[in-house]
Amino acid sequence: MLRRLPYRVQIPLGLSLAVLLAAVLVTAITAQGQAQNSRRDTLSLLDRAVVLVIAQVRPLLAADDTWRVFSLLRDTAQLVPGADANLARLAILTPDGAVFAASDPVKLETGRQILGEPWRGQPLLSAPDMERRQQLGLPDGSVVLIDPIRSEDGQPLGFVFTEVEAAAFAPDWASLARTALIGIVLAVTVLGPLGWWVGKRMARPVGRLVAVIERIGRDDPGVLRDDVPKTTDPELSRIGDAISQLMSELERRKAAEERALSAERLAAVGKMTAAVAHEINNPLAGMLTATQTLHLHGSTEAIRLRTIDLLDRGLQQIRTTVAALLPQARIEDRPLEPGDLEDIVALLRGTADKQRAEIRVQVDVESALRVPSAPLRQVMLNLLLNALKAAGEGGVVAARLQADESRVRLCINNSGPVLSEDRFKRTLAAESGNDPRGFGLWVCQELANHLRGRFELDTTENTQTCLLFEVPNREAPEGQT
Amino acid sequence: MNRRRTLTAGLCGAATAAVSLPSWGADRLRIGLTPVILADQVAFLARWGRYLSSRVGIDVEFVARESYQSILDLLFSGQIDAAWICGYPFVRFESELTLLAVPLYQGQPFYQSYLIRPKTPAPEVQGWADLKGRVLAYSDPLSNSGWLVAQAQLSKAGVPTRELKRSFFTHGHRNVAEAVAARLAQAGSIDGYVWETMRVQGMSAIAKTEVIWKSEPFGFPPLVARKGHKHPQMEALRQALLRMGDDKVGRDLLTSLNLSGFTTGQVSLFDSIRRQAQQVQGSGVRG
Repeated sequence: MLRRLPYRVQIPLGLSLAVLLAAVLVTAITAQGQAQNSRRDTLSLLDRAVVLVIAQVRPLLAADDTWRVFSLLRDTAQLVPGADANLARLAILTPDGAVFAASDPVKLETGRQILGEPWRGQPLLSAPDMERRQQLGLPDGSVVLIDPIRSEDGQPLGFVFTEVEAAAFAPDWASLARTALIGIVLAVTVLGPLGWWVGKRMARPVGRLVAVIERIGRDDPGVLRDDVPKTTDPELSRIGDAISQLMSELERRKAAEERALSAERLAAVGKMTAAVAHEINNPLAGMLTATQTLHLHGSTEAIRLRTIDLLDRGLQQIRTTVAALLPQARIEDRPLEPGDLEDIVALLRGTADKQRAEIRVQVDVESALRVPSAPLRQVMLNLLLNALKAAGEGGVVAARLQADESRVRLCINNSGPVLSEDRFKRTLAAESGNDPRGFGLWVCQELANHLRGRFELDTTENTQTCLLFEVPNREAPEGQT
Repeated sequence: MNRRRTLTAGLCGAATAAVSLPSWGADRLRIGLTPVILADQVAFLARWGRYLSSRVGIDVEFVARESYQSILDLLFSGQIDAAWICGYPFVRFESELTLLAVPLYQGQPFYQSYLIRPKTPAPEVQGWADLKGRVLAYSDPLSNSGWLVAQAQLSKAGVPTRELKRSFFTHGHRNVAEAVAARLAQAGSIDGYVWETMRVQGMSAIAKTEVIWKSEPFGFPPLVARKGHKHPQMEALRQALLRMGDDKVGRDLLTSLNLSGFTTGQVSLFDSIRRQAQQVQGSGVRG
């Protein structure tokens, strides 16, 4: 549960608990020490009491004064622990070992023979044999002491019989508990709040560090760096330094991101420029071929008209491409026509002838085409140029245009090395970023996305590379030309 | 600290107060007290001394001792002028003493001797005859109720004192009650007036003891003076004692003493004690 609390609470609470625990431990150890000393202290006190009684009782024994001996024993017994609870008793025995008087006559009746008789199952020496102290340890922990009383000339006057029951040696647990309770209450009331206050003071820099960390990203790092608490504690100082370093790193990273963003913008502009140049450059080759055709065969009316028409469509495509960059210059685009594929192929015929490649065309249009011609022609041009390049010298490129009520599909095959799915994706990714020269496939994918269509590698074709461009057979989305 | 120790300490302090050390002179009257009364209440004795002083015209002081013999020694040596002693020493030293006054207890100049025993455990002693092999507590060797009566009754019951397990003197009737209550002794011979007064005062020892025998009435312990050494104010003292019941202060003092008053008394009041003493061997009273 403690671990769920905030660190700033854990420290003062932990200190307070430590104070409490220390108080309990000290009290427990003290109690144990007192318990061990209790028996020794009691026996020591008994020794002193016996010495006192022997000194006082001699003249009373000489006077045969039972009452005064009783009074002396009764008063002296009050000094012995456990006397209040009737756990300790003293008696003076006659020289023959009978009770002369006892502090507790109920248990030690006047005149009762003690010496030479068993006492609670333990044998006692007879009076003549009792020359020095006899200490008897009873099985239950009780202690019996018998000390001879002698006159100044060494004659036996009697004996001091002392019995202390085991319970009298037990520590005064009630008193110890009371003392312990007072100690704990003092610890809780005085040291506990002190520990809490010290803990709060110790945790205060941590709280300020947390506040600074929470403001990172929102406030000025310069201001935050000033708010990092300065402390002499080495650990907290390290944390503060780390936070300052973190803020410096964040500042540097932010500056780097801003520079990267600026560079990215510049790259995008360059990329767009390259794409536009690419799209304009593609039909230019066919148009230059057409101009050569005009030079060579312009006298033939049919060829001339057909070539001019071809030039016109090529220029229109360039115009459409440029217009796409100028939103304010909307150009009405016509729908795609089945002949557009053959038209594009005608534009590329020269290129194909140079590498002795063959371009095969198949048109299966079952429904009216409603897709815009400019982007589709651009796709056709890009894919065919790409296919010719992939097919290589003497290769074969097959272009098939299919259309029905719902879709328009362009499938370009080439006889070159089969393009894998991974390489196709890598090429697309490369073209989108790092290779501004090969924008053909990337432009096709962008146009497919824009027309809600798809552009992908036909993985069902294993022997040849087949690129598939498919869009819904409907007009371009709003804003697209 | 128990009552006894408190009172003992008080007695020590009393040396400079109402209960003073004996001294000679006619400018004051000194009265010796024995354990015939509960004479260890210093404040009470101071009040009583002031009362008597105002009546007699000179200072009246009390001198307390634990034993009868000590007081008799002081009286016979002239260190005190009068003494409150027991009837037994009065008859024993009758030729040297004169009656000053006799207290009235419950309106009569008589009292009784009691034989008491502990209330617990189950009674073993039913009477004097049961004391054979038992421990018996006496008050004082010169006490009628605390020794002489016991000797007479033991003799009458056929129990020689040597057949007692043990006997001892407690130096006061009050201590007899405490010795029996503590079961230091299995029976005790005590002044009936003292036992009853302790009961009236609610002393704890009384709750643990019970009376199993009461004697015939004896003459109440008298206040006496030494013959041939009469203090000039002795008659005034006698009159003051006899008239204590006439005023409120005196009555309050008498109530504290658990007495009705004082009377002049007659020597014949102690005839029964005399007869009894004559029967007890070693009593010192001859027939």
